[in-house]
Amino acid sequence: MPLIDKITSLWRKSHPVIQENHAYFREFDQARKLEEYDFVVFDTELTGLNSKKDEIVSIGAVKVKGLQIHMSQNFYVFVKPRGELPKDSTLIHRITPEQIENAPPLESVLKDFVRFCNGGLIVGHYIDLDMGFINKATRAELGGIMANPCIDTLRLAQVYREEQWGNYYDQFNYNISFNLGDLAREYNLPLMKEHDALQDAIQTAYLFLFLVRKLKKGGITTLKDLYMAGRSWRWLF
Amino acid sequence: MRQQDKSDVHSVTPEVVIEFLKKTLPFNELDDKTLQELALELKLDFFPKGTVIFRQDETEVEYLYIIQKGGVKIYLKDEEGMVTLKDFRGEGSYIGALPIIQKTRANLNVETVEDTFCFLLKKETFLNLIQSNSRFAQYYLKSFSEKFLRTAYAELRQHRVAPKTEGTLYLFSVQVGDLVKSDPKTVPTSATLQSAAAKMAKYHIGSLLVTDEKGDVVGIVTDKDLRTKVVAQGRSITEPVGSIMVSPVEKIGSHKVCFDALLMMMSKKIHHLAVERQNKIIGVITSHDIMVLQGSSPLYLFREIVSQRKIEGLYSLSQKVPLVVRTLIEEGAKPNNITRMITILNDHILDRLLTLMQEHLGTPPVPFCWLLMGSEGRKEQTFRTDQDNALMYRNPETEAEKRAAEEYFSAFGQEAIEHLVKCGYPRCPGDIMASNPKWCQPYSVWQNYFDDWVLRPEPKQVLHATIFFDFRPGYGKLDMGYDLREHLNRMTQRQEIFLLHLAKDCLESRPPLSFFKNFIVEKDGEHKNRLDIKTRGLVPFVDFARLMSLKYGIKETNTLGRLELLYQNEHISRELYVETVEAYEFQMQLRFVHQLEMMEAGKQPDNYINPRELSDLEKQTLKEAFVVISRLQSIIKDVFPMI
Repeated sequence: MPLIDKITSLWRKSHPVIQENHAYFREFDQARKLEEYDFVVFDTELTGLNSKKDEIVSIGAVKVKGLQIHMSQNFYVFVKPRGELPKDSTLIHRITPEQIENAPPLESVLKDFVRFCNGGLIVGHYIDLDMGFINKATRAELGGIMANPCIDTLRLAQVYREEQWGNYYDQFNYNISFNLGDLAREYNLPLMKEHDALQDAIQTAYLFLFLVRKLKKGGITTLKDLYMAGRSWRWLF
Repeated sequence: MRQQDKSDVHSVTPEVVIEFLKKTLPFNELDDKTLQELALELKLDFFPKGTVIFRQDETEVEYLYIIQKGGVKIYLKDEEGMVTLKDFRGEGSYIGALPIIQKTRANLNVETVEDTFCFLLKKETFLNLIQSNSRFAQYYLKSFSEKFLRTAYAELRQHRVAPKTEGTLYLFSVQVGDLVKSDPKTVPTSATLQSAAAKMAKYHIGSLLVTDEKGDVVGIVTDKDLRTKVVAQGRSITEPVGSIMVSPVEKIGSHKVCFDALLMMMSKKIHHLAVERQNKIIGVITSHDIMVLQGSSPLYLFREIVSQRKIEGLYSLSQKVPLVVRTLIEEGAKPNNITRMITILNDHILDRLLTLMQEHLGTPPVPFCWLLMGSEGRKEQTFRTDQDNALMYRNPETEAEKRAAEEYFSAFGQEAIEHLVKCGYPRCPGDIMASNPKWCQPYSVWQNYFDDWVLRPEPKQVLHATIFFDFRPGYGKLDMGYDLREHLNRMTQRQEIFLLHLAKDCLESRPPLSFFKNFIVEKDGEHKNRLDIKTRGLVPFVDFARLMSLKYGIKETNTLGRLELLYQNEHISRELYVETVEAYEFQMQLRFVHQLEMMEAGKQPDNYINPRELSDLEKQTLKEAFVVISRLQSIIKDVFPMI
């Protein structure tokens, strides 16, 4: 079987919700104004950071439309992991084994989550980590990964910091933190409770709005602008 | 690209929003269910520092903005582009309520002064809340009496000097019983619609009370009922009034003030109220009656003062002046308007008092002029300020006239001060009062006093200058006072040495910011860690305006008036003028609010502010205001390079 058919057969096998997901982004126009896109800002709580063995215990997400946070359009679930809930993770997110005792397994909420994200661009703080966990699950359960373009607020925060300082040598200042809570305090954002997936997602949404409006002194209007800002010429050297 | 969110199953009510609303006035008045509904609707937006959210007369206001974090400044811009700062709003405050309620475009400019996050509430939802929840509505209605604000803004736009704040005074002081013009007009329930309409036409009124067989009032019919229930529905005009009347009638006690009536009408969406006195309906008032009342121009208290026939009657009237201030502050009037209002009321009390005194002491032997000094002279009185006054009479021409004048004015001065104390104006601790023989003198002596201060300046003279040089004639032969001012102006402009002394004094007080930009506060004693906003903050502005006015021959005594003339005559730049006025007014506002709080707590108002009790925004603004002091001082150094 030629490779192309192999791929299309895989494609065919994927779950309708994933096919739908891909359909949105097959033709994607970056030139529109940011206000015209829907963004899904999300965060997960995990049993640990190792994507091989650790699992998701909670997902929180909130929508940003017209560059405004729509607080009620949110997604918030606890998930029962297959394995044990390690004690050290409980210390961070304060989710106890009892709390997730009756929670559904990941596979039963995954479809809903993908559907929630469909049509939107995904935003997260150090988003690669969360997407890694999510895509591992969608590949296994739904036969494909999510095609949503992703925007990392951590990356934007780095660009913003460089803009602020404009000094090459500051890159070697190791005292700076890009932790979500630290950034929120530094930028004087309204503060949310940390290590709760929904509140962290909302916190990330505040950070996202802040950075989008502040980067390039407010000169970012289209998605393309945002992408170019994230690339920043400094990395060419 | 849109599709139905089937994932609603996993959405929750955002707790952060509910928590925020629960600690935000007046949303904390709402029940949990309403809060939940609101939380589902609120959106959050971010406005970086310097964003103009509303543009005066341009922006269509679609949302009520509730500030979650950050702050905004609110300002007016007149035709010439002159900016007048109106207010600062910080966390938990709202913007946009007034234009939504009035269904107008933004009436002011709103610009963020910090990075600001706002919750947005749709205007329809906001209006529904106002209509369905009277306590919620009261919060907004109390914070702006609609009519008042409109006139206040109009006035600001026109740069009019004389305050015209009649609206509020009436609203809060006139009782509804006083509005009733005639006995209630009634019809029996059995009367035909036609006869009711005929009766309304005959009396030129828009409503009739409806009575039962016993003569008790059971309902009301209005113009509107005839329109909507009879004409529009094609009812027969022979039907009885009882078939369309609204029952029962909404009533209000005759002792309630008009503001309460207005609130009741607005919250129940009606225009007629029956006025009740001791369980008897004495008449009907309409929203029109209240509006007409607001439109009339002389002040109510003012009217009471000028019509007062007894000196003792003035004692209680003068006690009402601070009440007026309270209302004005609540309504958001500008500090300068408040002080001018107080000044006008105090001036009229003085006028009445001295006029009545002459009625029983007899006509004075020679004409005289009552002089007001210090803050009274500058028309900048706040609440109870100490008396600073003096008396000047025409030079006596004969020895007999001299003796008669001394005798008369000595008694007159003493008595006037006694009455003023009873009116609630404390004595001047420095004894600068007309009862002191030194400050009760003929014109020639006064001229000598001023000549002496100006020609032989010594530190004490300079101190005097700050009190005496702000004099203005308050009563009597005002021309005498103007002549003295004229004389003084001619002289001071030539007296560089005297002006240098004044200038030096201006430079002595350091702006209350330390090197690290913290506030300098009192180090010890009763006011430890507090900031004396008068001495450290306001006085430098007053001193600057006085110095420059004396230098350039400006006769005005009011600080803002002086600044405006200095700007118009191009002695100070427009930019400095705007900055100075903003900084000065902001501090005045802070002081007013502080003193009001003290008075409400039953304390004597003072000028000591605790910086820790200020919001971040207020602190920031205050610091910026103090920075202006340094700028004023560097201007003084430019103008007086010899220092």
